[in-house]
Amino acid sequence: MGSSVSHAGAPPPSPAAAPPPPIPVGLAAALPPNTEVQGDAKGVSEKVDWLNLPCPVAFEEIQREALMSLKPELFEGLRFDFTKGINQTFALSHSVFMGSMEVPSQSSDIIKVPTAHYEFGANFLDPKMMLIGRILTDGRLNARVKCDLTDNLTLKINAQLTNEPHFSQGMFNFDYKGQDFRSQFQIGNNAFYGANYIQSVSPHLSLGSEVFWLGHQRKSGIGFAARYNTDKMVTTGQVASTGIVALSYVQKVSEKVSLASEFMYNHMTRDVTSSFGYDYILRQCRLRGKLDSNGVVAAFLEERLNMGVNLLLSAEIDHSKKDYKFGFGMTVGE
Amino acid sequence: MAAKTSLKGKGKAGKGSKGSEEGSSAAKCVKEWSTWAMKKAKVITHYGFIPLIIVIGMNSEPKPQLYQLLSPV
Repeated sequence: MGSSVSHAGAPPPSPAAAPPPPIPVGLAAALPPNTEVQGDAKGVSEKVDWLNLPCPVAFEEIQREALMSLKPELFEGLRFDFTKGINQTFALSHSVFMGSMEVPSQSSDIIKVPTAHYEFGANFLDPKMMLIGRILTDGRLNARVKCDLTDNLTLKINAQLTNEPHFSQGMFNFDYKGQDFRSQFQIGNNAFYGANYIQSVSPHLSLGSEVFWLGHQRKSGIGFAARYNTDKMVTTGQVASTGIVALSYVQKVSEKVSLASEFMYNHMTRDVTSSFGYDYILRQCRLRGKLDSNGVVAAFLEERLNMGVNLLLSAEIDHSKKDYKFGFGMTVGE
Repeated sequence: MAAKTSLKGKGKAGKGSKGSEEGSSAAKCVKEWSTWAMKKAKVITHYGFIPLIIVIGMNSEPKPQLYQLLSPV
């Protein structure tokens, strides 16, 4: 209605009795009436199309926002990565690491072993196929293959091969994506078989479950997960028969800032951990920090110095075990 | 009669055990073969995966030159 649109160009209705509807001039003629459009949009957003729910996030990525904010790749020592793109799809990478690696020990002492290695890698990234291989100086190979067999079926292979016998690991995943569900079947070494399924139940809520069977140790397990997300927040919960309960909550406070918190309880070892973290994504840098109930404070900074050159600073301070880890590094290339 | 049935029974049992032996040896053969195949596949993957990626990458479009593999520019 022309009268409800407030434009400078529209003439006021003449104050005569039974005024005729004003003839829209100027802007009012150019723009469509406002309220009708708003009313339609509101009506559509209130009605949920239950047959057209969005495709949910994959089961293993249910906690991806929380993991991205709370678990950056902290390291101790020097790290230098150089990625050389040869092609749109093909790239080689060289990476040097010099620092201390922690060796798991039986006692509560922390044993650190100084290590240095050079890693050569090749990436081939096609829309349909992705091949990533990394080989270290001690002979370990990390291979990842992701292949889209059809529009909905994807094959993923993940393998770590070593020179020492019986230490290699491999996993084959077959993913099927439906309109509002995803399912996955996994086959791994040591006779590991797993399957998981996640379904969108409402535009914001998705529920999923997984089962696995470990042949060599005759163990099996089942787990359930739920994820509720809106534009501003994501909350997930996971329960497994291995006795693990994990809850997480991520709130996107603004475009640049998000806060995350996580709670994990292990019934078998009676271990409780909760952590709280922040994630600042600014124009030139990304700063992530976290505070743990085990007395660990960590921070990770990636600063963009120039086009393609990034500076990395990593710090992890464990007050309870008196373990201080600081690392610095540089990443060159895309 | 009893002797006949017992002989028949033994014959069947004999055949059954022979059959199960053959069956189990076939399963053993398959297991040995698959273990041998997995070992060979592991060695081939270990040495050949990265060269395979490089060959596929060098043959993709636009075709890169050989010196681009080695130069740091």
